[in-house]
Amino acid sequence: MEETEFDDILDDWFIESLKTYKDLHVYQLEHPTQVIEWTSGKTVCVAGFTSSKNEILELRLPLKLFADENKGLCAERDFKVVHGGFTDAPVRCLRHIPGTRCVVTNDGLSSDLQVWDLGGDDSDVIRRTGSVDGSRGVSEGGSRIAARLSSQPQVLHGAESAGVRLTQLTSGQTVYTLETDSADPLSSLHFVSDAVFLAGCSNGKVYIADTRTSAAPQLSPPPPSSGESVLWWTDASAGPSCLDPSSCRIVRLSSCGQTVISDLRNPGGAVSRAQLDVQTRRCNADDVRVSWAPALDDCIAVSGFSGAVQIYSSSVWTTELQEAQPLFEHRGHAVSSQSDDGVPVFVTSHVWHPERPRTLLSAASDGSVHVWDWVDQSAAGC
Amino acid sequence: MPEIKVTPLGAGQDVGRSCILVSIGGKNIMLDCGMHMGYNDDRRFPDFSYITQNGRLTDFLDCVIISHFHLDHCGALPFMSEMVGYDGPIYMTHPTKAICPILLEDFRKITVDKKGETNFFTSQMIKDCMKKVVPLNLHQTVQVDDELEIKAYYAGHVLGAAMVHIKVGSESVVYTGDYNMTPDRHLGAAWIDKCRPDILISESTYATTIRDSKRCRERDFLKKVHESIERGGKVLIPVFALGRAQELCILLETFWERMNLKAPIYFSTGLTEKANHYYKLFITWTNQKIRKTFVQRNMFEFKHIKAFDRSYADNPGPMVVFATPGMLHAGQSLQIFKKWAGNEKNMVIMPGYCVQGTIGHKILNGQRKLEMEGRSTLDVKLQVEYMSFSAHADAKGIMQLIRMAEPRNMLLVHGEAVKMEFLKGKIEQEFSIDCYMPANGETVTVTTNPSVPVDISLNLLKREMALGGPLPDPKKPRTMHGTLIMKENSLKLVSSEQALKELGLNEHQLRFTCRVQLQDPHSDTDTLHRIYTHLKSVLKGYTIQHLPDGTVMVESIVIKVSSSTEDPNTKVLLLSWSYQDEDLGSFLSTLLKKGLPSGLC
Repeated sequence: MEETEFDDILDDWFIESLKTYKDLHVYQLEHPTQVIEWTSGKTVCVAGFTSSKNEILELRLPLKLFADENKGLCAERDFKVVHGGFTDAPVRCLRHIPGTRCVVTNDGLSSDLQVWDLGGDDSDVIRRTGSVDGSRGVSEGGSRIAARLSSQPQVLHGAESAGVRLTQLTSGQTVYTLETDSADPLSSLHFVSDAVFLAGCSNGKVYIADTRTSAAPQLSPPPPSSGESVLWWTDASAGPSCLDPSSCRIVRLSSCGQTVISDLRNPGGAVSRAQLDVQTRRCNADDVRVSWAPALDDCIAVSGFSGAVQIYSSSVWTTELQEAQPLFEHRGHAVSSQSDDGVPVFVTSHVWHPERPRTLLSAASDGSVHVWDWVDQSAAGC
Repeated sequence: MPEIKVTPLGAGQDVGRSCILVSIGGKNIMLDCGMHMGYNDDRRFPDFSYITQNGRLTDFLDCVIISHFHLDHCGALPFMSEMVGYDGPIYMTHPTKAICPILLEDFRKITVDKKGETNFFTSQMIKDCMKKVVPLNLHQTVQVDDELEIKAYYAGHVLGAAMVHIKVGSESVVYTGDYNMTPDRHLGAAWIDKCRPDILISESTYATTIRDSKRCRERDFLKKVHESIERGGKVLIPVFALGRAQELCILLETFWERMNLKAPIYFSTGLTEKANHYYKLFITWTNQKIRKTFVQRNMFEFKHIKAFDRSYADNPGPMVVFATPGMLHAGQSLQIFKKWAGNEKNMVIMPGYCVQGTIGHKILNGQRKLEMEGRSTLDVKLQVEYMSFSAHADAKGIMQLIRMAEPRNMLLVHGEAVKMEFLKGKIEQEFSIDCYMPANGETVTVTTNPSVPVDISLNLLKREMALGGPLPDPKKPRTMHGTLIMKENSLKLVSSEQALKELGLNEHQLRFTCRVQLQDPHSDTDTLHRIYTHLKSVLKGYTIQHLPDGTVMVESIVIKVSSSTEDPNTKVLLLSWSYQDEDLGSFLSTLLKKGLPSGLC
């Protein structure tokens, strides 16, 4: 592409962005990340996933983003690298243990986890402090990880449904193990309350279990018309609207763009469905992210199919499978990427800000990281 | 061991003033001479007592080098050269030389006239200081003296900013000043060749930052301007007449064209005059592509931007005005500000740092009521926006620069060591070089391993190669014998004979003689023979000869026997040896002093 042509496109998108975003920040990391994880209201962790040496970085978001009253007087727009560390393996999954300065990672090569101390004010080095064994006998793929606030730091992890375990970090003891009839590879793990969690499998099944009992988990079968090679990703809405775990909602997204929303009270049924307009590039199990907005009703973000992050409002969906149009599309990564090898850029990860309703962070395969606060231009909706 | 010493002047952890001392190959260089903008007392000046307790600095410094015109890099220069005292050369690039005195004078006016300070440099001092300046061109080696040479490289950042390469013999240091590695609209990216300096000195302040893109900063600027215009407000942009102003003008012009906006944009006449002057400086200082943009787009041929007349400030409706000076401390920008400050629809956008004591500084600190001349108060109701457009390197940029220059050691100033461990580890791991982080006032000594080139005469080389076995062993070092002649700046290794010839000296042979007394009843001849036999059994592997002239020779050592005149049983052995056989000779004399074993025949 001619350089001037490229600049024009960028200009158009940027000029459009004046109306479509409240805030917009564009950064370039040295190496792309597949993980973005909040470690506090103002800091996130990112990490590399090359096959050899990688960095784990804790970044503080720009002060300008949070300076609500005196925003104009704050010129600080940059990320600050507050802590950093090195690892010899890729980081495919990274989870912060709430209430601690600990993160847990998995390299995608085995089901074992690495434990890290992010460090405090007296040092800027992220240090490896230990490991957690995963289940033995796992054929391929890495572990998914989940954690919630608890008096004793614990981590829920597993690569397959049979063998998901809840491990105490300090003692290394396993306090709970999930037992399922089949060993289905997992695409995610989510806590919906202190004790209830969901194990989302790539074949579309969702297990609902309670760590306090040894009773068999509830199984929500995969949505109908799911083929053999179709992959599924899941997210569960949690938080204040979910004081009663059974009122939590589950969204399942397939690699063909089919989306099903269910209620925990009736996990087998579907509250609503939609066919999303996703460009079907060949997706790996690791690439796609689907997430409920924590501070907006019925909003879902989807990424990994292309260089865009799409926001959908599921409030207008029905039980009939119909095409849904995104409420908003963040095309920043696709538009500003200059890929040398002709391989189009795709979004590797996204997260919502836990409190600011429309603020997201997204990362792409070219190493870019964007922080954006989009404007809802629709009359109704989120 | 040869070493280079680096000391960042300053106290404790304070950041905001650059002044670094480097001692290399017997030369002392001061890099930058900045003012700390946060202090009002003497702490704002670097502490020169490190160089000398009292008196002028001329004898202690070989040169001073200034990287660019920002006050935290040159603000203390007139103080240092005229009030403390320095008469040696001060090196800086041409644009820096042109712009420095203007900024210094502005700064002086604010500090003295507005704040009434007394211990400060005068206008005349600024002029006298600038007389000592020797301007530099990019990539041109300048000999400061016989041994010290410096060279400037393009740093980006601001007009005229340079990174500097300092060399004494085969030791060298590169100081980056402030730089950026991503090109700007009007400035390119820093560049340096693979010069492999012993030390690369850089700021640590930006090393732990990941910068938001230029486009996002511009977006914020356009968004703010547009929002104000849309609500009918007026936007004041105080600028210093340099590249930044021109860049923002181009940005607004493009935007106005794209959006088909009608509100007028003005720049004040003060800006026009100065800009013309700097425009010429620009041309040599920017790269080809940027030069094309500026040549095509003449400063005053904007479609939407017109020259300002002060009566326009009272016109109704939205408008944007670029006016000098940049910190709202005087002149037209301040006048306009006073008129527009009372309306909350209006906006002022500050595109850079403002010195303490200026209105700009006050409003950026949130002050909403200002005391003006004549005790009147100004209510600040307009929107105040602080935007930073300056181009700086970040974590990634530092790594890129190290990759470019390939230094043997890295040194980062102005950082807290405990907060920089990760970066230090990163640099050490990726490049296998040491990374030093001295605190202000602390000296770091870096041992260098300079190579000393020496010529060797062909004859000597051939001769030495002929010695030793048939097969040379490249891994095994061998001692060689020669004479080192140092003439002017060259070193040469030659054989001793050649050295003597070249120097016109006679060769002298040194021989030692010693007498040993022995009790031996035999005849002189027999005693000699007994000595011969004894030595042959003790000194195996040595050449021992019994010569017909009545001497025994061990290598070059000659042994003669004679009887004492008083007592024929007392034999006197005369030993004589040349300097080369000193060890053997000493050994023999000690051995023979012990006498001959009785069992000899």
